[in-house]
Amino acid sequence: APAVAQSTIKWRMQTYAGASLAAEVIVPAIEMFNKIAGDRMQIELFFADQIVPTGELFQAMQRGTIDAVQSDDDSMASPTEVTVFGGYFPFGSRYSLDVPVLFNQYGLNEIWDEEYSKVGVKHISAGAWDPCHFATKDPINSLADLKGKRVFTFPTAGRFLSQFGVVPVNLPWEDIEVAMQTGELDGIAWSGITEDYTVGWADVTNYFLTNNISGAWAGSFFANMDRWNELPEDLQTLFRVCCDQSHYYRQWWYWGGEANLRVNGDKMKLTTIPDDEWATVEAKALEFWEEIAAESETKRRVVDIFKKYNADMVKAGRPYRYG
Amino acid sequence: MHSMMQGYIRYVDAVNLRIGRIVMYGIFVLMGILIWSSISKTFFLPSLWTLEMAQFTMVAYYILGGPYSIQLGSNVRMDLLYGEWSLRKKAWFDLLTVFFLIFYLCVLLYGAISSTAYSLGYWGGDPLSFFGGLITGGEEIGRLERSSSAWRPYLWPIKSIMILGMFLMLLQCISELFKDVLRLKGEKI
Amino acid sequence: MPYEMIATLMFSSMMLMLLTGQRVFGAIGFIAVIAALLLWGDRGGYDIGFSAAMKLMKWYPLLTLPMFIFMGYVLSESKIADDLYKMFHVWMGGLRGGLAIGTIGLMVLISAMNGLSVAGMAIGSTIALPELLKRGYDKRMVTGVIQAGSSLGILVPPSVVLVLYAMIARQPVGQLWLAGVVPGLMMAAMFIAYIVIRCRINPVLGPVLPAQERNIPRAEKLRLLRAGLLPIIIFATMMVPFVKGWTSLVESSAIGAMAAFCAAVLKGRMTREVFENSVRNTLGITCMFMWIILAALAFGAVFDGLGAVKAIEAVFTERLNLSPWMILILMQLSFILMGTFLDDTAMLVIVAPLYVPLVGELGFDLIWYGILYTITTQIAYMTPPFGYNLFLMRAMAPPEISLRDIYASITPFVLVMVFALTLVMVFPGIATWLPDYVYNKP
Ligand code: NA
Ligand code: NA
Repeated sequence: APAVAQSTIKWRMQTYAGASLAAEVIVPAIEMFNKIAGDRMQIELFFADQIVPTGELFQAMQRGTIDAVQSDDDSMASPTEVTVFGGYFPFGSRYSLDVPVLFNQYGLNEIWDEEYSKVGVKHISAGAWDPCHFATKDPINSLADLKGKRVFTFPTAGRFLSQFGVVPVNLPWEDIEVAMQTGELDGIAWSGITEDYTVGWADVTNYFLTNNISGAWAGSFFANMDRWNELPEDLQTLFRVCCDQSHYYRQWWYWGGEANLRVNGDKMKLTTIPDDEWATVEAKALEFWEEIAAESETKRRVVDIFKKYNADMVKAGRPYRYG
Repeated sequence: MHSMMQGYIRYVDAVNLRIGRIVMYGIFVLMGILIWSSISKTFFLPSLWTLEMAQFTMVAYYILGGPYSIQLGSNVRMDLLYGEWSLRKKAWFDLLTVFFLIFYLCVLLYGAISSTAYSLGYWGGDPLSFFGGLITGGEEIGRLERSSSAWRPYLWPIKSIMILGMFLMLLQCISELFKDVLRLKGEKI
Repeated sequence: MPYEMIATLMFSSMMLMLLTGQRVFGAIGFIAVIAALLLWGDRGGYDIGFSAAMKLMKWYPLLTLPMFIFMGYVLSESKIADDLYKMFHVWMGGLRGGLAIGTIGLMVLISAMNGLSVAGMAIGSTIALPELLKRGYDKRMVTGVIQAGSSLGILVPPSVVLVLYAMIARQPVGQLWLAGVVPGLMMAAMFIAYIVIRCRINPVLGPVLPAQERNIPRAEKLRLLRAGLLPIIIFATMMVPFVKGWTSLVESSAIGAMAAFCAAVLKGRMTREVFENSVRNTLGITCMFMWIILAALAFGAVFDGLGAVKAIEAVFTERLNLSPWMILILMQLSFILMGTFLDDTAMLVIVAPLYVPLVGELGFDLIWYGILYTITTQIAYMTPPFGYNLFLMRAMAPPEISLRDIYASITPFVLVMVFALTLVMVFPGIATWLPDYVYNKP
């Protein structure tokens, strides 16, 4: 390790992503931060499960074992009312630009800030990741093909998908490729095609379903509240800027990557469930939203925002929504 | 002092022996869950709960079985030097180094208590006072932690089992310490 | 203090702790938590130990561990291997050194039914060894045969060492197991070739069985041949559904354990005592493994937190300026060195996480390396002065076999294994061909 001056602030940060994916979704932003902050502050980045398992990530951050975290609320099981909306909230968004608009213009930022302040964690900012598609061993051409498939997916997406006979399985992110080969899994509903190729899942699956249950997931940067408050204001700002850089990078990396690999990728065959059949899934999602909203006042607020946003988009017409 | 140590050894060893004798049949529970998993997957819809249940069973099996495995002498030691020593010398070294083991178990136990407090909805920094508060009524159980799977089991039961197992392991190691003390006083153990 | 120094300090104090003879998991766990507390203090230093337990819970392939251990105990305790031994005895007895060759065959079959080398060692030294000695076989040769043969247990699938390696290297267990098949059989063939050549040069080492012992009715001979079917059936009930994708790895291991248990019951060998020993010892050995891994994972997390992997990489590539092959060979040598005084599980869980990513970054295939790694550990456990298998042999062998005999016995076999290791290094296809073929890799 490079020699570091005595006064240098050191943070440990753990991402949900394994090394291969992290190289795209977070490493550039952290390298940028370290380069600019120089002797004043250095962030050491750790990958999925390296210091603590993802299930313990939230507690570790509260206690300060880890100073900062990059994850969605859902897979790190944060003890807040908004957990179900992080990760893939079914049909909550159609495009990756929906996520920052929901947070910055429709009021999700404020709700997240309130909720995380209650549990002693600083919510820094949220950004968009990739859409949620199925990558499977066997082809999926109809809803019936999903029946009985053991699929690695986000907890909330899994709850939603189980009504179609999907059996959601939860395993450490790093073990997914192996689990496909040891027969623990039949498929993955965790990402778009860019991620399938980047992390090697395209090598262990054969088919890619072009229908998605979400156009983009929302993930966030978090920090231990005390550590965050100890930072001088300019370093806080720098940290925010680098988070935004990471959000921006993913915005184009995924958007372009999805199209490119659908057209030029040769490891996975594309299949599609017909639109009218898929519309039934979309209709079920609205029922699922109501189910979630009934669970608490905060969840009701968030679901109302999702409803308002999607209604506005439909009214706005093309290119926001088609049909 | 003597008889206290002897009593402690007798009592702790007996408890851990009983628990270990029951837990060792856990191998069949584990086998049953995994075989049910393959049957349900082949002939019906795969069950949601099998993998996690198997993981919980495994944790209970090796953590609660730990003290009995110490009694059985299953825990390997590096016998490069140790193997050649006399019983007395072994006892002397064990007497000192078992404190390192006990220290490790204490830290492990503290971690388990703190994580269990979290699973019962306590987010502060003093888990011991939380459990104290639960007894006196000063604290109450908050949001219960659930596994982030579709089955969503509560996590406090397995974490409580881990507390119990690590605590019993600690008691067993203290019993080993007492045995070494008695051995050095020339008693046959 | 620079991180490399902390890392070195941690590693050396762990070694020192191990030397005191305290239980391995205690020694490793203590260093892990004390380092975490000193480095990170109340900022979470105290929960690294427990977080390892949660990580371990999620390592689902470890569910196979008690299953394979149970299988091994059922096989060795119930003596269902007796018939297998008789089969080789009768069918191979007519050859010079035939019983020794048969013992290698026996070891291959036993290896296919359990995941550790202990079962092979126990069966070999309790069933085969006395018979071989009675028939005038050279004691040094046969002691070596049993040690070398039983080491196949971790190379021929199923293999616990390869399951652990798979977890650490994040490589598919199925492919690793298949990768072990050809090198395992090749090594068995090389052991046999060695026996044949030695006995041709010096027939006294392995005398032919007297005629009256070989004079067994054909029907009886065929009946004994059926005994050889048993391991094949157990192996198939476990491996076929797994390779076909019908059952997962952990499910298959439970099926295998169940199959071994049923076989022992059907053959009338599952006495109360056998049952008790198998169940109790499975708990003991599983606990030993799991507590060591628990402690080693905490150690690994602190090591990771220090960036020790990057530091070691830097030492090898930048400071020493070595070529990838040189680094690989150095690593193999250091494994053999450490194998002389580190516990095998601990070595895997602590050292492999440091080496495996480096091997990957140097551009080597991690499936292939898994096999190299396994053969290297096999050698390490057999080489004096201190080896895990040597100690086991000493504990199990009949009294006429001295420690000197045991040390002397392994030399030729170690040379054969080093030769096999070199072959696999030079021709990676020996390991990778079968998994590539089965999993249709281009
Ligand atoms: Na084996
Ligand atoms: Na050795």
